[in-house]
Amino acid sequence: MSYFEEEDFKDVKFDVSVWRRIVTYMKPIRKDVFIALIAVIIIALADVTYPLLNRYGIDTIIATRDLSLLPWFVGGYAVYMTVIGVTVYIFITFAGKVESYLAYFIREKAYRNLQHLSYSYFDHTPVGWIMARMTSDARNLSDILSWGLIDMAWGFLMMIGITVAMFIINFQLALIALTALPVLVFLSLYFRIRILKAYRLIRKQNSKITGAYNEGIGGAKTTKTLVLEDQNYQDFEGLTRTMRDHSVKAAVFAGLYFPSIIFVSSITTALIFYYGGLNVANQVITLGVLYVFVSYVGQFFEPIMQLANILARFQQAQASGERILSLIDTTPEITDTPEVIEHYGTLEHPLKDNWETLQGHILFDNVTFKYHKGETVLKTFNLEVKAGESIALVGHTGAGKSTIVNLICRFYEPSDGRILIDGKDYKERSVSWLHSQLGYVLQSPQLFSGSIRENIRYGRLDATDAEVEEAARLVEADRFIETFELGYDTQVGESGARLSVGQKQLISFARALIANPRILILDEATSSVDTETEKSIQNAIKLIMQGRTTFIIAHRLSTITQADRILVLEDGEVIEEGTHRTLMQQGRHYHKLFMNQFKRRQIDVSMKTPT
Amino acid sequence: MNTLKRFTKWMRGLWMLYLAGLLLVFLLQYFRTLIPLFLQHIIDDIFGSTGSNLPRLFQNLLVADTVQQRLLLVAVVSVAFTFIRVVFIFVQRVLIAHFTERVAYNMRNTLYNHLQNLSFSYHSKAETGDLIQRVTTDVETYRVFVGEQIVEVARMSFLLIFAGLQMFQMNLRMTGISLIITPIVLTVAIVYFQYVKKIFTQVEEAESTMTTTLQESVTGIRVVRAFGNERFELAKFDKDSARFRDLNWRLIRLMALFWGGTDVLIFIQYALTASFGIYYVVMGQLGVGQFIAFLTLLGMIVWPIRQLGRIIGDFGKTVVALKRLDEIMDQPSEHEGDATAEPELKGHIRFDNVSFHFDDDPAHLLKNISFEVLPGQTVAIIGRTGSGKSTLISLLIRLLENQEGLITIDGISIQDINKKALRRQIGLILQEPFLYSKSVLDNIRIMHHQSDTDKVHHAARMAHVHHDILKFEAGYDTLVGERGVTLSGGQKQRLAIARMLLEDKPVLVFDDSLSAVDTETDRQIRDALHDTWKNTTVILITHRITTAMEADVIMVIEEGQIVEQGSHETLLEKEGLYKTLWNIQSQIMDETVEEEVTT
Repeated sequence: MSYFEEEDFKDVKFDVSVWRRIVTYMKPIRKDVFIALIAVIIIALADVTYPLLNRYGIDTIIATRDLSLLPWFVGGYAVYMTVIGVTVYIFITFAGKVESYLAYFIREKAYRNLQHLSYSYFDHTPVGWIMARMTSDARNLSDILSWGLIDMAWGFLMMIGITVAMFIINFQLALIALTALPVLVFLSLYFRIRILKAYRLIRKQNSKITGAYNEGIGGAKTTKTLVLEDQNYQDFEGLTRTMRDHSVKAAVFAGLYFPSIIFVSSITTALIFYYGGLNVANQVITLGVLYVFVSYVGQFFEPIMQLANILARFQQAQASGERILSLIDTTPEITDTPEVIEHYGTLEHPLKDNWETLQGHILFDNVTFKYHKGETVLKTFNLEVKAGESIALVGHTGAGKSTIVNLICRFYEPSDGRILIDGKDYKERSVSWLHSQLGYVLQSPQLFSGSIRENIRYGRLDATDAEVEEAARLVEADRFIETFELGYDTQVGESGARLSVGQKQLISFARALIANPRILILDEATSSVDTETEKSIQNAIKLIMQGRTTFIIAHRLSTITQADRILVLEDGEVIEEGTHRTLMQQGRHYHKLFMNQFKRRQIDVSMKTPT
Repeated sequence: MNTLKRFTKWMRGLWMLYLAGLLLVFLLQYFRTLIPLFLQHIIDDIFGSTGSNLPRLFQNLLVADTVQQRLLLVAVVSVAFTFIRVVFIFVQRVLIAHFTERVAYNMRNTLYNHLQNLSFSYHSKAETGDLIQRVTTDVETYRVFVGEQIVEVARMSFLLIFAGLQMFQMNLRMTGISLIITPIVLTVAIVYFQYVKKIFTQVEEAESTMTTTLQESVTGIRVVRAFGNERFELAKFDKDSARFRDLNWRLIRLMALFWGGTDVLIFIQYALTASFGIYYVVMGQLGVGQFIAFLTLLGMIVWPIRQLGRIIGDFGKTVVALKRLDEIMDQPSEHEGDATAEPELKGHIRFDNVSFHFDDDPAHLLKNISFEVLPGQTVAIIGRTGSGKSTLISLLIRLLENQEGLITIDGISIQDINKKALRRQIGLILQEPFLYSKSVLDNIRIMHHQSDTDKVHHAARMAHVHHDILKFEAGYDTLVGERGVTLSGGQKQRLAIARMLLEDKPVLVFDDSLSAVDTETDRQIRDALHDTWKNTTVILITHRITTAMEADVIMVIEEGQIVEQGSHETLLEKEGLYKTLWNIQSQIMDETVEEEVTT
């Protein structure tokens, strides 16, 4: 798991290769980056020019008492405000475009790769990890490469501009004004990183508190029955106390940083007061120049604080970049060979004309399978399934039921040996081809946000409304669908949350039925549902198995008895094989399993049947 | 409750901190507006003839003979003054931080404690997600409001006042000219941020739609793959992702319009002040130093005024947040006014004509329930889902309070027994027990921290979970709960049983808490119990007839009423539900064979 934990803040070395990669994603919007940069250059120059405009007023108009020059001054302001207004608009617009589009490109790249990655990847990668990469990390990166980059350009330009302007106007005063620069830079870097670290601690503590709330609320009943209120409260108080202490500590850091900058800059200003004042007294400089220098010193410290902030954030963003690239760079374990691609096409550009119909004959030829960790699940496994045959897989958890199914689906490939479909090693055909002829009904039915209609159509995207409704009718889902006000257009909610488990199961049957797959995988649900739905589900299973090769990871007695063949698995081997009747008569493993598991289920069901 | 009371009640006891902090804010804004006057002093007093606008106190400090000495004094005094100022700034920030974090700390604790003590019926109706949203986001909204937004508004208001006063003491007409655009900028800002809120919501919604699509397609990757719908998913995500991108950009373009537009407004203000200022200086009505001070003071107020518009636009949020928190706080704690007696119980339970329905639903969940269990007896309650079995138990431990009839233990009405004392002595094991984010060891001894490991192991053995635990990588130190390993339903149930078996209890209730355990283990656990916990009254709620049949008394519950009651043998003599179930049980073998023949 450690790989997936968020790494702590450490002093990250600047890694050029990461940034070079990320910057290539900006290619399509490089024009916009350019425009935003130009705009920000103009703004920085304008910021530098502004005190000079007032200096003109002081040194030229006031000094000469020539009010006829005032219109020029006003005109200068008019030009200035127009330029500022327009460039600010342009800068924000285009930086915003860069931000929005860069995030979009990154998400798109990552998502595309996700669709190609092998099933095993999702088996060992937490969903939350993937989500974080594509949301907060993408946001971090696009943020720093738009606003961060542009602010940085502004900061540098402004500092350079002010420095140059100061040296041109008065060399001695310029040197005096810049003496504090190293101190300011040091202070900024010192505090920024500490403040950032402190805030990270706060965020961490905050998520602990949210977790504790979650437990306190979710486990309320248990807490009451165990009378743990006081104890939980004490634990919680410990968390909030730490939170409070961290927060105050962060505030103290921030409270030291800002004043220290003000103080250092006030020393600079005082030096300008003194030396500048002397120069004025000696008539070396004008009052306007004194004003300009005091203004410049005031303007100087904002970009420094900004730059320190951006630099600190760059470290964070680099970590985001590394994680996103690791997602984008992960290569699929299962890929089609070039020959296969040539014939069958790719995932995104399939050559469907070349796809032959699948009959459904499956042969496991000395298949061995081990997971990465090295644990062998199947060992020289052999199995032949005729087209149209239905196979029930029975056995304890870890006996290899899921592995067999995953191998058939080519979610995984055999470590050794071959799997032949219709007499041909399935590696000689494309993954997409196989999947296009596959149907999968899951233990926990997975629906998608959208209407019921859209969810059923997910099985075959070009199915007509009539076909969708026919499928629903066949699995008896129409009964409950029609009780909804909006019927087939009822929204199912996130992951189907608005439907009951039984309803979701029926819809997933309709979805599989409309796909009309040649091979059907049925991972049966263990959760019990009400009697009526239970009956519908049993009917649906019966119907859906007809005329196709079916593999069932079975939990229902009625389903098992309907299968053509029952395979009892243990430690990756078939230890018994036959129909329900023959296996019961043998009175061995299956019999025992039956006594332990199915008997109970039958009673539970009967408890729910009205008498 | 009025808004003000609602607003202030969370600050109780911390007022002085806050007031001290705000007082410093007040002082500091005055200090701040003095800064430009040092330059004014140099220009108009040392070099000019208009005179200094610094307060008398400072002017007195700055008296010297030569220009050089006077300049040096200005430099030194301004640095010394800034030093005092930054110390004040630091103190102010720390004070406000202490205040804010204490408020948040108190709020979190109060809410958590209150939530835990709310009645069971409140919890069973409340939505977890919504509650968590309230106690986290709403607390944060309030924290930011008192700690940042109010302080910022106070800061801006004081600054406006003092800047206005400093301007006023220099030149009245110039003051009017310099403050003319400020209200316009503020109005524009408030209107704009109100307007943009809606669009902001749209952007957030677009983002969450995109996140949902992503989450669903990753969670449902197996379905996506199995139906070969990768291209469809790509298109779907691309659509959502592009929509979020476009809305986000639209929001930013609106921002650009606002910032660009108000920049123009602000520079109009500068142009006005600067032009009139120059005119007045030339006319001899204003010093050059004063002119510059006007520009500087203007700069202090006119830029941040836009942020003020945003903050004011956010005020409504805080009101809503506080209202929602009060909705929680207004719920009464279930321990308020509870009995204080804590008798030691033996386990003689009696239900006498007990009926129950929820206040907002007249349908009875239990009706005229009467039965008696003697200490050490085992009673089994059997019935369909929703028949009222769990309600009965909730009444027994006072998670729900019975409206009619009387429940007594050892002859004492349970109403007269302290709830916590009652629950401590009645060990209830739920069908879906909750495990805490702690180690297995700490979960088992959660009620008795002092228990040594031997005792814990013993309880775990009795609950048949010891061997499961040893199979975990970290054994008894394995972390369970939200952040820990995923346990199977059966393992959770057995852990919950172990947790209950750690210490003797007069009454033990299994609320279908062996449902995910296979029949054989179920039996072994009960046998172990039977041998060691002879004096304990046991109530078994079950679906399993084999579990029920060995009890001293079996009760069959249907629609909130006891329809049959008696021992296994007596019940078999009646033609009731129990008999029907029993028949199914014994016929099951033949039935399945039959089923196979018919298909």
